[in-house]
Amino acid sequence: MKQPVTLSASRRSLMKWGLLGFGGLMASALPKVAAIAQTGDKTLTFEATDDGILNFALLLEELEAAFYAAAVESGNITDAKELEYVTVLGAQEAAHVTFLRGVLGDKALFSTADLSFNPDGLAAILADRSTILNTAVALEDVGVHAYNGAGPSLTNPTYLLAAGSIVSVEARHAGGVRALLGRPTTEPDSDRLIQDADLVAALNPFKGKAYDELYSPNQIVAIVGSLGILNNPINGSLVA
Amino acid sequence: MKLRFTFKNAQPVRSILSQLVGPFEAICRYVGQFAGEQRNQMRSLAQGMAIVFPLSLLLLTLSPTSPAQAQSESDVLTPRQVTEYALTLEKLEADFYRRAVVAAQNGGLSSVPQAAKDVIVSYGQDEAQHVTDLSAVLPSLGGDPNAITIPTNPNYSAILGRDPFANPTDFLMVGQFVEDLGVAAYKGQVQNLLAAGDAGKTVLAAALEIHSVEARHAAGVRFLRQALLGADVNPWISENAGSDEVIYNENRTGSPIPFSSDAFDGYATQSEVLALVGPILTEAPQAATPSPTPQPATPQPMPQPTPPAAAPSQSPRALW
Repeated sequence: MKQPVTLSASRRSLMKWGLLGFGGLMASALPKVAAIAQTGDKTLTFEATDDGILNFALLLEELEAAFYAAAVESGNITDAKELEYVTVLGAQEAAHVTFLRGVLGDKALFSTADLSFNPDGLAAILADRSTILNTAVALEDVGVHAYNGAGPSLTNPTYLLAAGSIVSVEARHAGGVRALLGRPTTEPDSDRLIQDADLVAALNPFKGKAYDELYSPNQIVAIVGSLGILNNPINGSLVA
Repeated sequence: MKLRFTFKNAQPVRSILSQLVGPFEAICRYVGQFAGEQRNQMRSLAQGMAIVFPLSLLLLTLSPTSPAQAQSESDVLTPRQVTEYALTLEKLEADFYRRAVVAAQNGGLSSVPQAAKDVIVSYGQDEAQHVTDLSAVLPSLGGDPNAITIPTNPNYSAILGRDPFANPTDFLMVGQFVEDLGVAAYKGQVQNLLAAGDAGKTVLAAALEIHSVEARHAAGVRFLRQALLGADVNPWISENAGSDEVIYNENRTGSPIPFSSDAFDGYATQSEVLALVGPILTEAPQAATPSPTPQPATPQPMPQPTPPAAAPSQSPRALW
């Protein structure tokens, strides 16, 4: 029997989001050295193992869940259908977070509270309806490329099937929000953040709009960094 | 019934039954839950499912493998077999959209808005690209893409019990069934490709690249049903998804992965997919080239229809 998705997970994320936003603001007012030494943001170290990959996926899911919760809270999505999409997508990302934390158990590298968000970066992507929905497309497209890219590196078959079970839902999100915006549901090459020449050849036998190319973890880290919303430093052999 | 499968591994009795009985019973259960307009559709689906068992038995008779040996290898495919299986499904999907393009020009789909026609053309391009690229890979795995054939006129009417190209409502319903099943079919092969080790790495990457695009297609078709027809459906597969949404067993139990949640998509094994696709992979009784046909008993006109695109003499391939 399917369990109905409740919004409580989103609300929890939202509360943490608010707290983190405030905490991030406080930390940013401190001298940088002091911030690193005492209240600095936790460094996230992802190793090139199955656990490292699941932790990396967890980070992306946390970002997405927090983004959608904040998007709902922003009040900038007013159309009923769009609000339903954003709300449900947030709940599904929260379910992915819950699942990955359940699988990782004490191997989870960070708690939700360890993540530190940049309030200015957040405000920028929540500015208005168009920015929110187009950011959602960008995050979902990147999520698809990230899961696809991680797939061949996984060694545990159940983890690979789980990643497959999640990535097609992320692709549905990408397609759904693209459709809301009147954008093509598949990703045109012109929308891709990694161009053909920069794709890892061994990971990408095929390229073009008929395919969701495989991005490497370090390419994903660079993209997430460019969003300017996460303060935590990221390193480790997975993203080297 | 004329079988065109070229698969080398037919399925053993016990595994076929164990894999099919569960989904079959589940679908029958769902069939009982539907009311009103959906009921006819579900009855047709149930009739289609009734073909499943004879087909399975036919496959069995072709099996050169002993049941004891094959049982543990049920649905274990080599990278070549996965590619041949995928190519079969892609050829079918590409053919499905080619016929839809014809119907959108001067047939039963000519009333759909231009945005939906654009989707039909675009998705058809994607499936055709998959056919081209998988065909190019297959020889390196020892296979022959030309040996992977589908009927000249696949029996698409087997899905709903009527021509799916006759009106937008039926076409989009079938499109959703086909795309969602495609997503589940690719997902069902990732573990086989992983198990093949380095020999499976390229096909695994290719399968992943295609798998999520099929999910985008499924989302797009679902969006069109929601936006144009007011259907109670979303780009994602809903909680408690019954056979009005998907035709495979989406809510698989007994896995650490919570497939029953709407945040997790289910998968389908090769034998499950072939049982569903088998009736389509037979030659249609007559030429199934879409043409204007009388509307079914409950026509559902599209809102704000656009005039049919002109140039009825234009070849569908010209759009591609």
